[in-house]
Amino acid sequence: MAVNEKNILNRLYFVAGCMFIFAIAVVVKLLSIQFIQGDKYKALVEESNIKEVSIPANRGNVYSADGSLLATSIPKYDIRFDAITPTDKRFKEYLTPLSEALSKYSGKSVSYYKKELQKARANKNRYYLLARNIGYSEYLKFRSFPLLELGPYKGGLIVEQYVKREHPLGEVAQRTIGYERVDDEGNITRAGIDGAFGSDYLRGTDGKRIKQKIGKGQWKPITVDNEVEPKDGYDVYTTIDVNIQDIAHHALLEQLEKYEAEHGTVVVMEVKTGEIRAISNLGRTSKNTYYEKRNYAVYEAHEPGSTFKLMTLMAALEDKKVDTSDVIDTGNGYKVFYGRGIKDSHGYGKISAARAFEVSSNIGLATIVDKAYAKNPERFLNILSQWNLDKKLNISIKGEGEPMIPKPGHKNWSRNALPSLAYGYGLKITPLQTLTFYNAVANNGVMVKPRFIREVRNLDEKIEVFEKEIINEKICSDQTLKKAKTMLENVVKRGTGTSLYSDYFSMGGKTGTARTEYWHKDWSKNPRYISSFAGYFPADNPKYSCIVIIHKPSVKKGFYGADVSGPVFKKIAQKIFTDTPIVDEVETLEVKTAKVEKEYKTYYDIANRYKTIMPDVRGLPIMDAVALLENMGLKVKIEGVGVVENQSISKGTKVKKNQTIVLKA
Amino acid sequence: MLRETDRHFKFDWLTIILFFLLVGFGWVNILSASHSGDAIELFNFSHSYSKQLIFIGLSVVLIIFILSLEAKFYERFSSIFYLISIVSLVGLFIFGKNINGATSWYAIGSMTLQPSEFAKTATALAVAKYLSDLNTDIKSFSDQLKLFGIIVLPALLILLQKDAGSTLVYSAFFFVLYREGLPQIYLVIAVLAVLLSISALKFGLIITLLVTAFIVLTHHFTRKKRPSFFQPLVVILISGALAFTVRFIYQNFLPVHQKDRITIWLSLEKDPVKLKQMKQTIAYNLNESEKAISNGGFAGKGFLQGTRTTGNFVPEQHTDYIFTTVGEEWGFIGSTLTVIVFVLLIVRVIILAERQKNQFSRMYGYAVASILFIHFNINIGMVMGLIPTIGIPLPFFSYGGSGLWGFTILLFIFIKLDSNRINEW
Repeated sequence: MAVNEKNILNRLYFVAGCMFIFAIAVVVKLLSIQFIQGDKYKALVEESNIKEVSIPANRGNVYSADGSLLATSIPKYDIRFDAITPTDKRFKEYLTPLSEALSKYSGKSVSYYKKELQKARANKNRYYLLARNIGYSEYLKFRSFPLLELGPYKGGLIVEQYVKREHPLGEVAQRTIGYERVDDEGNITRAGIDGAFGSDYLRGTDGKRIKQKIGKGQWKPITVDNEVEPKDGYDVYTTIDVNIQDIAHHALLEQLEKYEAEHGTVVVMEVKTGEIRAISNLGRTSKNTYYEKRNYAVYEAHEPGSTFKLMTLMAALEDKKVDTSDVIDTGNGYKVFYGRGIKDSHGYGKISAARAFEVSSNIGLATIVDKAYAKNPERFLNILSQWNLDKKLNISIKGEGEPMIPKPGHKNWSRNALPSLAYGYGLKITPLQTLTFYNAVANNGVMVKPRFIREVRNLDEKIEVFEKEIINEKICSDQTLKKAKTMLENVVKRGTGTSLYSDYFSMGGKTGTARTEYWHKDWSKNPRYISSFAGYFPADNPKYSCIVIIHKPSVKKGFYGADVSGPVFKKIAQKIFTDTPIVDEVETLEVKTAKVEKEYKTYYDIANRYKTIMPDVRGLPIMDAVALLENMGLKVKIEGVGVVENQSISKGTKVKKNQTIVLKA
Repeated sequence: MLRETDRHFKFDWLTIILFFLLVGFGWVNILSASHSGDAIELFNFSHSYSKQLIFIGLSVVLIIFILSLEAKFYERFSSIFYLISIVSLVGLFIFGKNINGATSWYAIGSMTLQPSEFAKTATALAVAKYLSDLNTDIKSFSDQLKLFGIIVLPALLILLQKDAGSTLVYSAFFFVLYREGLPQIYLVIAVLAVLLSISALKFGLIITLLVTAFIVLTHHFTRKKRPSFFQPLVVILISGALAFTVRFIYQNFLPVHQKDRITIWLSLEKDPVKLKQMKQTIAYNLNESEKAISNGGFAGKGFLQGTRTTGNFVPEQHTDYIFTTVGEEWGFIGSTLTVIVFVLLIVRVIILAERQKNQFSRMYGYAVASILFIHFNINIGMVMGLIPTIGIPLPFFSYGGSGLWGFTILLFIFIKLDSNRINEW
């Protein structure tokens, strides 16, 4: 040890000095954290300590005109199992009873669940899925299962609740009822009524509440009251009539299946008010089934074909360029206009203008319009424009198709444009627009805007009532209207639509058989058509107007408007005409009492009589029963389809709001 | 010779009082950190604070046992202790239990024991024993090498169990060797190497090399007796190589969590998004502990009143991050007092060591002071962000039986040795 005393002392001081310096550093840093930067950290503390929690508002319901639920929000549950949480002892003890309960619930074997649960535990799975998207009553079942009944901390039960939009009536008018979806990035997709009225009425406003962190993952509300109370969304009452909708849906579906068509749409509108009573849009899937694919009636602008002849002929009539009795030479069924031939299915020779319309002669209409307006096409187009045919309807639902009518000076104009327009080619228009025009004819010239919503309500309080909107007070003179109506009736009596004629009720309408995709090269080998029928009924005092459009029916089975679309129209007219209880047609009602009507009546009787006492819904169509019970404030869980056979709460029992009932069919 | 009864009064009561002050205040803070709002149940042993009470009780038994043994026993059996601790460290590779990523525990039933906490004491005894041997000359290179061997062997074993923090504690022995006459150059080199490494990471290779070259060359040309130009060149080259290696290891070989801790410490991350992310992940603990300390203010929130303490905001608060509780509940005053008590204890141990006539006792005393100092340094420095996050306990404060007992044994063997100094010589 050759270290002298002084050296050692120096080294001692050095070591001690290091410690002292560090101690000073600690104190300085303490000062810095606690005082100098204190505000910065305090801000951080506040930020991570207090958060604003939004309390979601309940979304309003969508009802049909008669008060059936079309769309509603109901809670759904995912059940998961934390396989780590239960103790070894509990897990062993409850493995068999739990597996048995699960097996009884799902139908899978007991040993399957035993194996799965053991696997989950071995794999340390804390999020094992037991059931997804189940209703409240099933959730209650899970909560009473062995082990799970011990709750989240002992039994490992994980329950995730979320709200789902449900359509109690199933697929019916789904596309029009629509939805409003918000994705993770906050982009909103809106479709149909639910989408269109989401932000203004249905959505409501979310409440706010400030919560303070009291521990890891634990938050408590700071005050007793919510900062902002959530305001539930309003209910929207649509104009949809469940019965008419049902008829329209099934009539269309049947025909689409029969003709193996690609897609189709049908819209039923109340003549006086413009209220849409039924709207069905069915598209084909890859498996050749049909579902509410897109809102064709609203968005699909296409070449209308012969249904447009009503507009062209009425324009010429109103302009006094032609009269129904004027003789038109349609020749042998082939006539050249400006170097392009126009064909009819037959040669009709010399016929009256009215007859040309009834038999849907392309040459006839082209001749009339070309003769009258070749020198001044603007005059003709002006009339169409006055009838709003070149403009969107601006209905509430998003995604309306843009109509297109050619104009001189534009590149879509040629000398052939005018004669083509005369029989419905070279322009685009949506089914709803065509219907709006036919409806105006039926409504004595008053053009009303199609409407989907009748009123918005907050419980019993009317928030907003939607009145009918008039687009054009009088589209033309009564004379023209009378002529048009006569021709439309004659189409069915003796024209292209004779197959639709019925002794029991009258109707007016126009067939349409338009070629589509004729610009494709393979058209001659594989011709494609759009078959349509637009009209109204009853002929003498029109109640409803209706349009049926079916795209690309199988040509082998038929493609004429009268054959493909006409029957749908007829079926709807017939059913509505005979079945719907319309007050001023009480006599008809008494004469013919169809099955549908009886069901409908039963439904209404029950709905009016029962408010808090459980009715007997056995025998009712299950969808009617759902609507009925949900309107009473019950939560309905259904099993099966068809007619109700069994109800979990027996008749006459007093029921409470939000009670759950199970219906079996 | 003193009579038997007088002997007990020769213990250094000041050290013992400081020890109990720290342990007692430590327990109070463990109580705050581990209890979360419900009633305090001292004898419900599922609570950490109740367990710690037992550990403290057992450490009192341990103290009585240590003090009642013959002082010479520790010196004589130091090699045996050392061997046992080495064997126990090796045994971890076979029987060890992994907790929080480190395989440093023996599990006996529900009890766990961490041999590295005891290995420090054993190493201190062995170093003191070897250094105090008359045949040992600290100036001789071979003896230096043997000493390094004694120190590095347990450190290496602990490092292999992925407990880098505890390994670092072994640098404490450097102070002991320094005090006992290790050539000055080792200290200079060590300090310069650390500075160089930090500079290489913080300012990059080029700046570091330029500055190094500038200093070395200035030094070279201002010297009166200039050695060959070869010498400064070698110094610069070695510095460059070291700086490069440090960066290379930092970028390629360091485990991600250690790399990130250094990144945070030196504020190397400039991208605000990544930095925010880091603050929520790797630096979460530091961030939370700084927030908690800041929350205390001058006088603190008061016992059991710390919102961030009772709310369990700071993970591991009752173990490595126990100082945050002091910061929040006792404020600047409490923290400073704690630091003062620690400094007093360490200074007291150094003073006691200096008055030892027996070399073994003195060197052991130095080792005790150094180990406590390093622990204190690293722990409090880490909690406040003065140094990168390194997980080692705060002596006498942090929750845990092994730690408390390890430090108790470490300190009280010295108190026993000190009490015996009259009998020496």
